[in-house]
Amino acid sequence: MAYSFPEEVLEHVFSFISSDKDRNAISLVCKSWYEIERWCRRKIFVGNCYAVSPRLVVRRFPEVRCVELKGKPHFADFSLVPDGWGGYVLPWIEAMAEAYPGLEELRMKRMVVTDEGLEMIAKSFKHFRVLVLSSCEGFSTDGLAAIAANCRDLRELDLRESDVDDLSGHWLSHFPENCTSLVSLNIACLGNEVSFSALERLVGQCPNLRTLRLNRTVPLDRLPNLLRHAPQLVELGTGAYSAELRPDVFSNLAGAFSTCKELKSLSGFWDVVPAYIPAIYPICSGLTSLNLSYATIQSPDLIKLISQCQSLQRLWVLDYIEDSGLHALATSCKDLQELRVFPSEPFGAEPNVSLTEQGLVAVSEGCPKLQSVLYFCRQMSNAALVAIARNRPNMTCFRLCIIEPQSPDYRTLQPLDVGFGAIVEHCKDLQRLSLSGLLTDRVFEYIGTHAKKLEMLSVAFAGESDLGLHHMLSGCESLRKLEIRDCPFGDKALLANAAKLETMRSLWMSSCSVTFGACKLLGQKLPRLNVEVIDERGPPDSRPDSCPVERLYIYRTVAGPRVDTPDFVWTMDEDSALSLS
Amino acid sequence: MGRAAADSSSSSIDSSNHPSLSCASSVSLPNWSNSTRDLSTDLRLGLSISPNHDFSSTSTPREQRLHWPPIKPHLRSTLAGKADKRRQASLFIKVYMEGIPIGRKLDLLAHEGYDGLISTLGHMFRTTILCPDVNRIHPEKYHVLTYEDKEGDWMMVGDVPWEMFLTTVKRMKIARGDRC
Repeated sequence: MAYSFPEEVLEHVFSFISSDKDRNAISLVCKSWYEIERWCRRKIFVGNCYAVSPRLVVRRFPEVRCVELKGKPHFADFSLVPDGWGGYVLPWIEAMAEAYPGLEELRMKRMVVTDEGLEMIAKSFKHFRVLVLSSCEGFSTDGLAAIAANCRDLRELDLRESDVDDLSGHWLSHFPENCTSLVSLNIACLGNEVSFSALERLVGQCPNLRTLRLNRTVPLDRLPNLLRHAPQLVELGTGAYSAELRPDVFSNLAGAFSTCKELKSLSGFWDVVPAYIPAIYPICSGLTSLNLSYATIQSPDLIKLISQCQSLQRLWVLDYIEDSGLHALATSCKDLQELRVFPSEPFGAEPNVSLTEQGLVAVSEGCPKLQSVLYFCRQMSNAALVAIARNRPNMTCFRLCIIEPQSPDYRTLQPLDVGFGAIVEHCKDLQRLSLSGLLTDRVFEYIGTHAKKLEMLSVAFAGESDLGLHHMLSGCESLRKLEIRDCPFGDKALLANAAKLETMRSLWMSSCSVTFGACKLLGQKLPRLNVEVIDERGPPDSRPDSCPVERLYIYRTVAGPRVDTPDFVWTMDEDSALSLS
Repeated sequence: MGRAAADSSSSSIDSSNHPSLSCASSVSLPNWSNSTRDLSTDLRLGLSISPNHDFSSTSTPREQRLHWPPIKPHLRSTLAGKADKRRQASLFIKVYMEGIPIGRKLDLLAHEGYDGLISTLGHMFRTTILCPDVNRIHPEKYHVLTYEDKEGDWMMVGDVPWEMFLTTVKRMKIARGDRC
């Protein structure tokens, strides 16, 4: 019998199990497995920093080396969460500084990270190796300087999509003279010039550097020298990709690229001068990932480029690619798994490019491995969605944004219910879905009926009544995150499915019809949920209970109400609910 | 704004009274979840959800499209910057002339290239400015145009393409020709 094994043996067996889900399952087997497992857990993931307190985490898992934390709701990416809402990492760092002196890796997403926090990281963890700040804010280059100066074993510093207060480009020169440990450096989000001499020195002396993502201020003429010092690079983000057109500059750049035989991923390309694009042709055949979402390259040049990249698995691109470019993609890139097409002029009323539903249909036809799509466009039809669904039943992520909200099928003027219905019906493994366009409650019935593996669902400007929300909450068995804005969903569906909320990580609803009274009731009845009313109009109890709240964020927690709420956030706990009766 | 949205949707609340206050008792839903626990039954008391619930609040077009389409801030600001450039935003920089304490400001983006710039400055400061490649006879009678680039170095205007100049120039100085 398994539990008769000595602890050491079980611990050794457990060490081969890395997935969080499996680890959690192990800890539920029996008390002794729980005990053994918690002592040998080295890596934890906290999907919501308010779902558990740092104190509880360090008490249960005393020997953790790698921590991943997430803060604000996903809609914060699109400015729907007011500034100052929360997601502060400092309490976590303080707890870990005490409990985990051996912490090696810290990854954070959508958190407020102060310079004080970064300095504490730099001081507290002697063997610190990996710092990933993804869509974080609240810190400056001074904090980064502390990390650079003190973390002697730092392998990875990744600032992806963070909002850094860029005080000085000299923070980079705080890396010690003899720093050789860097494997990954991503500073693409920084606005100011970094110290080029420090950058060149770092790149030159870190033999294991695999990932280097520069920011926009690094001029193209600096790139060849950097590349020649790091021919082992696998992932490169260029800086500004523009220069005066001169044959010697071009051949220097092309020569430098051709020395980087390992390159698999390219990004950057700010201010691109298309005439310099052919400089990367020599390495295109090895590329698996290409992020051109900052690159203003028109369709003909894109087509030439993409037809060189036959191993491409991931392409992010602006809609300049147009339908013609997507047809070329469908022909050339048979390994494509992920496609994101962003709008170049999202706020213009009229289309500036010829990008329609046809481009996506072509890619779904031509690329058999396509499983993840984020597509911004201005017109869609049920027929196209049905075709995509039939072509790609292997789709796991489908996010469609039709730029004008509530756009119907442009050919029939019907709602897009049937089209999205086909997506959820055919794509059995769909995990993530974003809806847009004109949608009635019927689409939610399809979703509730078919989307059994759906984990994350984003809804905007859709539905007609509570029934829509009811279908999602009652039907989607695997739903973990639901985010809704500007939909007429209200109390009834929410309260009727209240127990479902305890099985989910979170529910976000803004500009919907949920009343303050319902929020109070939820908070009262479900003590394991934090029901946060976010309202910038002042205290919600100054309005009638029947008044809808501006924003509602509900998440399960074992930590109770948080203590760091700003003055526009109210947690509906038992006290606040007392006034209901 | 979010506020307006919340207000506009309040009209739909009248028809969907708070469940605890509602006296309706029919549950008119197909496959109504029966796996929920006591708690939810409790909350569901008197609940009625019907498909023909208040359509009017959604069928009216909402004017608030705030934070839509959903694009992350970094891409959003890059795209916005690109649009500004196309709209011919202005790029004002300061110009000083040797010996004159008061500087002037000038919009570089109002000029198509070096020729236009030099002629504007010639009128502004009432002097003759030479391009660097012009044969210099009697340099003391003329002026040349220099600029400080982003790295803080003083350079002669005209050596790099106009577009590159626009991206690096911080300020300009009109210097006496015999000093350069």
